[in-house]
Amino acid sequence: MANATTAERPTAAPAIEAIPKPRPRLRFSRERFAPYWFVLPIVVVFVVLYLIPMAQSLYYSFTDYNGYVSTPSFIGLKNYFAIWSDSSMVAAFSFTLFYAIATTVLVTVFAIPLALALNRRFFGRGFVRSIFFFPAVPSVAILGLVWTFILSPLGSGVINSIIGHLGVAPIPWLSDETLAQVSVIIVAVWAQTGWHAMLYLAYLQALPSDVFEAAKIDGAGRWQEFRHLTLPLLTPAISVSQLLLLTGGLKVYDLPFTLTKGGPGFATRTLTQTIIENGIAQSDVGRASALSVLFLIAVGLIILAQLAVSRRLEERYS
Amino acid sequence: MTLTQPSARRRRLARTIVALSAIAATAVALTGCSSAGSGSSGSKTVTFLSWDNAQTMQPVFAEFEKENPGYIVKPSYAPPVPQYIQKLQTLLGSGTAPDVFIITAENKVQIMQGGFAKDLSKEPWIGNLAQAAKATYTKDGKVYGAATASWGGGILVNKDLLAKVGYTSAPTNWDDFLALCKKLKDAGITPFYEGGDGVPVTLAALLGLQNESLGGSMDQQIWSGKTTFATTWTPAVKTWDTLFSQGLEPRTVAGLTGDQVTQQFEQGKVAMIGTGSWALGSIQQAAPNLKLQYLAVPGTDGKTYWAGAVSPGYAINAKAKDSAAAEKFVRFLQSAKGVEIYQKQTGSITTTKDFTPKLDPSLTDMAAAVRAGRFYLPAVSWPDHSDVMGTEATALLQQNIAGKTTPEQVAKGLDAKLQSVK
Repeated sequence: MANATTAERPTAAPAIEAIPKPRPRLRFSRERFAPYWFVLPIVVVFVVLYLIPMAQSLYYSFTDYNGYVSTPSFIGLKNYFAIWSDSSMVAAFSFTLFYAIATTVLVTVFAIPLALALNRRFFGRGFVRSIFFFPAVPSVAILGLVWTFILSPLGSGVINSIIGHLGVAPIPWLSDETLAQVSVIIVAVWAQTGWHAMLYLAYLQALPSDVFEAAKIDGAGRWQEFRHLTLPLLTPAISVSQLLLLTGGLKVYDLPFTLTKGGPGFATRTLTQTIIENGIAQSDVGRASALSVLFLIAVGLIILAQLAVSRRLEERYS
Repeated sequence: MTLTQPSARRRRLARTIVALSAIAATAVALTGCSSAGSGSSGSKTVTFLSWDNAQTMQPVFAEFEKENPGYIVKPSYAPPVPQYIQKLQTLLGSGTAPDVFIITAENKVQIMQGGFAKDLSKEPWIGNLAQAAKATYTKDGKVYGAATASWGGGILVNKDLLAKVGYTSAPTNWDDFLALCKKLKDAGITPFYEGGDGVPVTLAALLGLQNESLGGSMDQQIWSGKTTFATTWTPAVKTWDTLFSQGLEPRTVAGLTGDQVTQQFEQGKVAMIGTGSWALGSIQQAAPNLKLQYLAVPGTDGKTYWAGAVSPGYAINAKAKDSAAAEKFVRFLQSAKGVEIYQKQTGSITTTKDFTPKLDPSLTDMAAAVRAGRFYLPAVSWPDHSDVMGTEATALLQQNIAGKTTPEQVAKGLDAKLQSVK
């Protein structure tokens, strides 16, 4: 072997030696840093679009910055105290929380049975699936405008016209505080259920069929199968869906705004609407930043709590 | 394998070329920016951030350039109101604002206090502006905006529907107005609607009467602590609230927008609406057969008043690249020719002294009052925090319309809000 190798070497050697070999240290450092080069773009995006603006917001929250002057004055915690003296803030916080919890619960309650139904074989299944998925396609702002006509409190509103033919007086859907809140949540649930049902459907299709076949052989009924097999196996999907719903619900702005502009009164005002109005329309960037910082902390805590609960459930059922 | 070395060299060369090209391209771009910036200095070029769209403003620019050979307007556009405010705010904050921009109720405090606009009070043409227009954009005797128009708001009536209940002349006091509404209601005609998405026109006019009785300084007195919303607003809100307490206007309007109300009017489903002069064009387009008339809002003591506000003004950037060109442009915008073209494009009620606009007959009474400065709108009259106070007022009034709060609570709510934002 040694001879053969030695015999072959003279012919190959000049070419191999001609290749400039990377120095060991350089090669080692290239390999070592390769993963970091891959994540660098997203790190740059995160730093430029998230971290720096967040740091700026934190800084502005301690100043009287109004978006115009380049050197705002430091005013300590004044903005943070001012937030709590604003009665509309409490209303915005209450409705945002109510909206986030209500939509999370209702969408989950409707989406799982819908996914189970859409998972069965029946004629026109693809078409029915696309019908349920459709509300997730158009912009929420467009959906809001369409529902404004449907829920118009006037007699000419779509729903009021229909019930008018039945001799029922027009219902003030978007003019009454409670009805407006309920209307916003109904539209949100309608718009999101199909999308989340598709999420559950994807998980359902990945579930092992042998477990279900074994359960059937053991004589499990439909309810028992759902309660003791499907639901526990769907726990990871429920965690993902609820995380998306909860974060989306806490940050919601477009749907309530296009439907009611936050009214009547303060009934459907959201925290994001308040932040935007303070920061942009009212040029009170300092206060809007303070509100954003508190909002970020509150959302972070709620999400952490939700994740902790989800993790425990997943551990229990996995 | 011997080809490897030149290949690596080629790759290195290619990389170097790409890098140099990128640097060169960046440098060219930066140079381009730089030359564009410096080139406009003294170049008779006016940069202008317009509130109106290109279709409206293009004839105005064309006439300016025709009258002033060599001068060029470089416009950019942003629609009112939040988008415009935000864009201008960013431009001013970054030192890249145009030579001429719009000053309006929503940004006037920041612009006047921040020294972003040039004082126009010494301009030879300043006397051509209406007194109300000058006052709106004046601080400490300095005028920061040249507003050439105003809008009015009142009760827009469908004359045919009113004729069915024997209407012959405009009501001159609030009780007559309520009586007219009652007649219409008894005849099966919906009497009156007003959008709940802002301070209603009728209430603004009633508050205007209150402001007039205090010498036109109601809001200054509230802000300085000499009086309160509770004292000044409660009587007007109580008067206005009778529309709901007597069932002459449905409480459902709390959730209606001005556009929804206008649509009902266009379809002949309501006899009267509270709206501004700006709605006339679209109503006439949608319902050309309607016989229309704007009426003043009658008060409880026989006086009438109008809602309304001075339109946005033209401001010259304090750091304009070509200040002389900017001044020439604003001078043209307020001139008889400039106003004539703008009026033709927009149909607005212009208020400059050397030009009288030709308006739709339904606006005759309103235009005379507006040109005389007899109009009022809280959000424009408030010295500062107009947007936050306006949002609060809208929400409180919606609660009042819905019957959840009393007029006293509306006024007290505004006092509380003012204290929280001061």
